[in-house]
Amino acid sequence: MIERRVRVTNRLGLHARAAALLVRTANTFQSTLRLERVDAAAAADAKSILSVLMLAAARGTELRVTADGVDEMEAMSALCGLFADGFGENEG
Amino acid sequence: MSKRRRKTEQEERWRGRGVSEGVALGRVLRVFNGTRQVYRATLDEKDIGREVRRLRAAIRLARRQLLAIKARAEKELGADHAYIFDAHLLMLEDRKLLDDVEKYISEERANAEWAVKVAADRLLAVYAEIKDDYLRERGSDIEDVTQRILVALSGEGLDYRKLTEDAIIVAEDLLPSAVAELDFEHARAIATDAGGWTSHTAIIARGLRIPAVVGLRDLHRRAQTGDQVVVDAQQGIVILHPSAETVKHYKALITNSSGVRHLPASEDGRGPLLMLDGKEITLRANVELPAEYEDVRRYGARGIGLYRSEFLLSHKGAMPSEEEQCEAYREVAELAGEDGATIRLFDLGGEKFGGATTETERNPALGLRAIRFSLRQEEVLRTQARAILRAAAYGHLDIVLPMVSDVTDVRRAKRLINEERARLDSEGKKSGRVKIGAMIEVPSAVMTADKVAREVDFFSLGTNDLVQYLLAVDRGNEDVADWFRSLHPAVLQSIERTLDAARKALIPAVVCGEMASTPAYVVVLIGLGATDLSMTPSSIPRVRRTIAGIKHADAQEIALACLECETADDVEELVRVRLSKNWPHLFPPKSLPAPRDAE
Repeated sequence: MIERRVRVTNRLGLHARAAALLVRTANTFQSTLRLERVDAAAAADAKSILSVLMLAAARGTELRVTADGVDEMEAMSALCGLFADGFGENEG
Repeated sequence: MSKRRRKTEQEERWRGRGVSEGVALGRVLRVFNGTRQVYRATLDEKDIGREVRRLRAAIRLARRQLLAIKARAEKELGADHAYIFDAHLLMLEDRKLLDDVEKYISEERANAEWAVKVAADRLLAVYAEIKDDYLRERGSDIEDVTQRILVALSGEGLDYRKLTEDAIIVAEDLLPSAVAELDFEHARAIATDAGGWTSHTAIIARGLRIPAVVGLRDLHRRAQTGDQVVVDAQQGIVILHPSAETVKHYKALITNSSGVRHLPASEDGRGPLLMLDGKEITLRANVELPAEYEDVRRYGARGIGLYRSEFLLSHKGAMPSEEEQCEAYREVAELAGEDGATIRLFDLGGEKFGGATTETERNPALGLRAIRFSLRQEEVLRTQARAILRAAAYGHLDIVLPMVSDVTDVRRAKRLINEERARLDSEGKKSGRVKIGAMIEVPSAVMTADKVAREVDFFSLGTNDLVQYLLAVDRGNEDVADWFRSLHPAVLQSIERTLDAARKALIPAVVCGEMASTPAYVVVLIGLGATDLSMTPSSIPRVRRTIAGIKHADAQEIALACLECETADDVEELVRVRLSKNWPHLFPPKSLPAPRDAE
């Protein structure tokens, strides 16, 4: 199992569109993927959109991403990549 | 359709109220209108597996619908906007929701609808706690998805436009938007759980001359699309899964009475309609659906007294463009001919204009609707005004403003319409002369009718809404149907006051509610001073016959006596006694409003 910290940087936070992209991506991997608020207020299964939306992760929220499984490295790098470029929403 | 049900199908009867005459035999077509009531049913242990399969099938159906919607949205709006449907699809596929629902079905032995609602409510409760406004709003996506599952569970697809030849529409209630989506020319009858004599269902059914029974409580939930059903509006009953004997009985009845449904068009329909003592009365047509257009000429209406334009809004959120509207109004103008047509501006609340208002109003009938909505969303009014002004270059069209409270609404609307007229001129576009009138249906407009009359070219009296607002009774609510009294002395005084104000200001007044379609009420209306009535076209022959058979002076005398009454009961009793005594040939006992205790 591997673990990394990310921060929500896109303006609207993990809203429906961003969450959909995250969940779609997560579902392409076999590993168990979880997101947890570092303030420990909530944790989510990254493959469930309802669960992800319930993190209520607004802009600036810090999350801990954990990946556990055969493709955990690839999965982690794909998810962190989404957070890093603000789910493609940050330009303009 | 399903074998397992056929064995246990037994004839079942519902008693309601017949609101549009006739008898029909056909197959149920369930129509869903968006305000879904979810009921709790407890299942037998052995039915749980079936219920879970039903849920999964519904979710697959909802998924296919969403994929189709998403594909269309991508094409029309671009991939960025279609993303929301991707989120909805993921919610449908989300194990978190499905596991909760399936668990609830099996543990609580609940029906799928209820389980979906419970699971959704739990999720929504969590969302309601979210502090970030934008994220919290995503709860609406969950509601949307939940609704879609519920619709799929009801067995309805998105394509209930294609009706089979013998479709009998079964709905909780019919809203204008549902009507616009249906191909009503093929509907044989309508049966709804809610509704009264003046509900939309009733008005539509009478307009289409098909039988309708309303107030059936739970028929919509119990009937399945494809079930055989009898609608007998004469007796106010609906029979689901009729026995072979019942079917035989009704088939004979329908064959014998075919043609009764259509009253003959009057041959003298073209000439002026005179009462026995020479007073002239004008009869016009209320129109909403294209299916009714041919009736306008057929029944000899003097033009269109009320065109309900909101029926152009066929789909939620799809606001017809200026061009589309202009085309529709031109058609109406041509149809109406020399006598002209009065276009009522959209008489709807924000919910019909998708996204224009996001919050659900707690009291929509008293909310931001009709002219209030159009004044708030100026572009809606401006677009509609431009379309009407342009169409008026090709025929006689007038505009009537719905639900005005007082002169303020009139002045504001007139200013906007005049601005658009000036803009059309400066753009070099042709426009026609259009008179502007006010619907008098709000008590404050009645009280200040003399002031309003000085600002407009004519009055239209909308009696349905007037009764609703004056007596504070929701006309779609069966529980208060006893308080909805068209012949209430307060209603009669309001009508008299309004007609009087119009007369003093030398402007015409058209009475265009359902009251004008009912011969017994017509006598009272004419007695109160009405000379211009607009009604469902198919009612014209009946009303014409009544008017041609009585004297104006007699109607006046009856109306005067009605105004002296204390209660609606007294008025109804007086009308019943006087009409059957004066004109027994015109008012046989059954044609009059039934005494209260007989209902």
